[in-house]
Amino acid sequence: MSTILTNVSKSYDSDKTVLNDVTAEIQTGEFFVIVGPSGCGKSTLLRMIAGLTSISEGEIHIDGQLVNDLPPKDRNLTMVFQSYALFPFLSVWDNVAFGLKARKSTSQSEIEERVNEALKMVNLEELKDRKPRELSGGQRQRVALARAVASDAKICLMDEPLSNLDAQLRIKMRQEIYALQRKLGLTLIYVTHDQVEAMTMADHIMVLHDSQVQQIGTPTEIYKHPANEFVASFFGVPPINLLPATKINDQTIKVNDDFEMSINQQVPESEFQVGIRPNELMLEKVDELTANATVKSVEFLGDEKIVYAKMAHNDLEIAAIVASDAEFKAYDTILVSATEKVLLFNHEGVNITQMEAVVNA
Amino acid sequence: MSKYKKLVIPLIAVLGILLVAVFGHSLSVKSADNHNRIPIVFWHEMGGPSEDALEKVVDGFNKSQTKYKVIPKYQGTYDEAIQKILQTHNTSTSPAVFQAFDISTAQMLHSGYTTPVQNFIDEDNYDVSKISSVARAFYANKGKQQAMPFNTSQPVLYYNASLLKKYNITPPPVSPSYSDITRVAKELYEKSHHKVKGMTVQVYGWFLEQALANANAQLANNNDGHTGNPTKVSINNPDTVEFLEWIRENIKSGDFIDYGSGASAGANQTAGFLSDKVGIFIQSSASIGQLTKNNKNELGITYFPHPDNKKANGVAIGGAALWISNDKPKDVQRGAFEFIKYTLKPEVQAQWQKSTGYLALNKDSQKTSILKDLYAKNPESKVPGQQLATAKANYSNSGILMEGMQLTRQLEEIAMETVYNGGNIKKALDTADKNINDNLTQLNRANGYN
Amino acid sequence: MLKTSTTDVVPEKNVQAKQRHGFRLTAKDKYFASIFLGPSILILGLFVFYPMFKTLYISMFLTNTLGKTTVYVGFQNYAKLITSPDFISSMWVTFIYVLAVTVLTIALGLLLANLSSQKLPGISIFRTLYSVTMGVSVAVAAIFWLFIFNPSTGFFALLSNWLNLPVVNWLTSPTNAMWAVIITTVWMHLGFTFLILLGAIESVPSTLYEAADVEGASPRYQFFHITIPMISPTLFFVSTITIIDAFKSFGLIDLITKGGPTNATNMLVYRIYKDAFYSGNYAKSSAEAIILTVIIAFFTLLQFKFLEKKVNY
Repeated sequence: MSTILTNVSKSYDSDKTVLNDVTAEIQTGEFFVIVGPSGCGKSTLLRMIAGLTSISEGEIHIDGQLVNDLPPKDRNLTMVFQSYALFPFLSVWDNVAFGLKARKSTSQSEIEERVNEALKMVNLEELKDRKPRELSGGQRQRVALARAVASDAKICLMDEPLSNLDAQLRIKMRQEIYALQRKLGLTLIYVTHDQVEAMTMADHIMVLHDSQVQQIGTPTEIYKHPANEFVASFFGVPPINLLPATKINDQTIKVNDDFEMSINQQVPESEFQVGIRPNELMLEKVDELTANATVKSVEFLGDEKIVYAKMAHNDLEIAAIVASDAEFKAYDTILVSATEKVLLFNHEGVNITQMEAVVNA
Repeated sequence: MSKYKKLVIPLIAVLGILLVAVFGHSLSVKSADNHNRIPIVFWHEMGGPSEDALEKVVDGFNKSQTKYKVIPKYQGTYDEAIQKILQTHNTSTSPAVFQAFDISTAQMLHSGYTTPVQNFIDEDNYDVSKISSVARAFYANKGKQQAMPFNTSQPVLYYNASLLKKYNITPPPVSPSYSDITRVAKELYEKSHHKVKGMTVQVYGWFLEQALANANAQLANNNDGHTGNPTKVSINNPDTVEFLEWIRENIKSGDFIDYGSGASAGANQTAGFLSDKVGIFIQSSASIGQLTKNNKNELGITYFPHPDNKKANGVAIGGAALWISNDKPKDVQRGAFEFIKYTLKPEVQAQWQKSTGYLALNKDSQKTSILKDLYAKNPESKVPGQQLATAKANYSNSGILMEGMQLTRQLEEIAMETVYNGGNIKKALDTADKNINDNLTQLNRANGYN
Repeated sequence: MLKTSTTDVVPEKNVQAKQRHGFRLTAKDKYFASIFLGPSILILGLFVFYPMFKTLYISMFLTNTLGKTTVYVGFQNYAKLITSPDFISSMWVTFIYVLAVTVLTIALGLLLANLSSQKLPGISIFRTLYSVTMGVSVAVAAIFWLFIFNPSTGFFALLSNWLNLPVVNWLTSPTNAMWAVIITTVWMHLGFTFLILLGAIESVPSTLYEAADVEGASPRYQFFHITIPMISPTLFFVSTITIIDAFKSFGLIDLITKGGPTNATNMLVYRIYKDAFYSGNYAKSSAEAIILTVIIAFFTLLQFKFLEKKVNY
């Protein structure tokens, strides 16, 4: 009882491939996030699940049934669009009731019950007679959610539902959607380009890039054990520092002559990339002679600061997170060092860090 | 709406440019056209092949002298031109000489907008005796020539002689009766196995008026207006009824085809006749040119039919006359008359008859080689002239001198249409009578004729 | 600060002061007002109001052969008209024509627009075909249809002959002539209506249909519950334009039927034209023009009162 994608591909014409060989299993009742940069094919994948876009190759099964040729209405799912797809000429209440009325299989009293229930769930009871244009962005979003809720479909698809909202509201709606999903036990397939949304809400994340699945896993797995450089750099703010490094000996590597670090694992190759999260870098204000980097700029975030610096030797740029009371300013000379919790990637970008080593550290 | 605002300024700019272009152009044309000749603006209503023929007449005049230049301007239909002439009088656009059709004669006479051509005839001692007296009389008032007839026609009956030969049908006699035509029409319809309709009569008030004239009946009192301004019209009379009953009989037998009214009906009817869809129709003699030019068949022409128990009284002339506006300077009016004189020259009238079918009004035209050749080649083209010559002029066949004739015609046509579509003849004519008299009473009141 | 920009950004206090004193114009305001309004008042006065009042004036008189007003008759012209069976039948004919033209144009335009909004290969050919009548002038259309309606050589006549059916008298039977005029007018209007409606249909966000697809709405349901309401402002616009155009129909009538047969297609506008410019009865036609103005004003008002409310979302 789940949604299973098997070798799903989509191509327009013969040469333009949008999605290549996507395989995944989405468990019933889980919050599944498909994330990736724009143009990676994530919305196409969602539309293929919904039945709005045809499938070029591969199979999609929902609850054991092959749905490749099934029209959207027979897939027993509901969808929330980025633009909310609200009918401007209908009141909030009628918008929510639209699908129930259209299917003509629900009695009038049941429609009323379900619509009122759904509106209550998203706190829109008082606005039920308003037209969409009389609502704020967040309220419109809730109408779209209520419509999904009112339908009895157990699978809900969401296509970047929060991208039209401002930052504050996005955080609030994120929590509401999460709460709603949990409360109703919905299988939620959620597409976003925002890694924060993915990390905060997902049970499982699928990372898409260049029409390919990069990795599927829980937020922790994705963050801690990214499959490759792309996944590592996609998650985390500021992004992970990726620096070319060479092996000195089994336990020591160097980025340049002034920046060496020891790691507690066997270094497998002589040349590779080292990935250091900004909070695994340590900075120390020193005089010019001992310094290996210069501060370029500092961003104050309240409880912490982000320091951007340039390495003295090969002009590599790094970002580091420091405590908010640490005093750094532009043109300060600093000594950069790293903890042992670093990731190693080979020249193809594949993660070659030995797992145990990191876990132990 | 706000998105259209952006369009407004470019639109205004474009309009401005257009205005400048149009006016600038017309100004430059004016200055270029000024070669010391006195321009004589001539309004006419000749369309199609007749317009070409008329332009040749104008060209001929312009080449014959160097003092005047006649500028012909087409004004649409006869009907439309009347109001244009009346409403532009005393403005710079008004014509110096204009063509106005037969039924507007009373209106033009009463308008006081014209200089009687008699003034110039007297000045020049111009000899009018050569010009058809019947035609002259139509446009004269109390012995004074008001306008000069120019294009004069007779309604005649056309038939497809080749088709009659093909089906072995005896052609209608000269001056046929209604039943003569009915016989030919029925035979043609039956013998062609319903492939060819026998006849049609266009819904045209002129034909109804001519049927009355030919039956020696009058539409308006005071002798159709010849002895006083008419105050009453009676279209519901036995002769109209007989004419309409004749048509209805043919409609019932299926040999009649209705092409309706107006210019398009005329064109449709001609097309039908030329493509062997209908064998007989009534039309102005001015159509001869068109009917001989592109006709693969032999064209038959005979007189307008008359009621069975009556002798033909003869039909009135139709067509139009040339009038001189009195709002132009003396020298322009003089030029206009010079042009009128030119149009009446024997050769000009002969050529005019040859190319249009309107009758040559100058008696000497018959002696020209142009007409002699024409008659030798097409003997039937003599018929309209013979019909005119046979008729003895009396009040019934000299036209109706009454104002409001245009509306009267429309109302006559509605009555005809009602009958063609199966309506009661007497009722239709009563309605027409009532509406025509209403209008006449009001018009007389407005004009202060009571 | 500009003195004239009082509407948006006046401090609260000023607004209250203004209200207390009523809306008073300063000399400068009046100066600007007259500069801005002047040209349009001048143009409207010259080309709209003066002719309008002149028409009203003429309609109270009898006019003679020369079109000059002679005898004052008050409202007699009107009284005559509204009791004349001829004029009343003209009104009916106009209403039937306007109604039929509007309903048929919009129904057909909507049908064609909806059909050709489908994403099918080669659909652009049909779109071009359907909109092609937009580039056809009235005169060309009239001649084209006259050829088709010709009872002996026309397309319909030939077709009937070929099928051994009786030939329909398109232009000489009163009922058929009305249909002929309606068909021709609808044909003329269809291109424009089609294009405008297609534009409106195309601009409906596709996500609305996708949402409906997912929610299980049938294509029919989507058409009536999404397309129609979404394009209702355009429908309102098109219907207003079509009604006004139909009321003003002149060229086609003049070229095809000339108001006949038996006045069956003698619409008000054509009647006004004929009474004025054929018969020279300016008084009668002025009265008719005023009546037509009242009728159109009434319909426009009605339309705005009832229809606009419904389409404004």
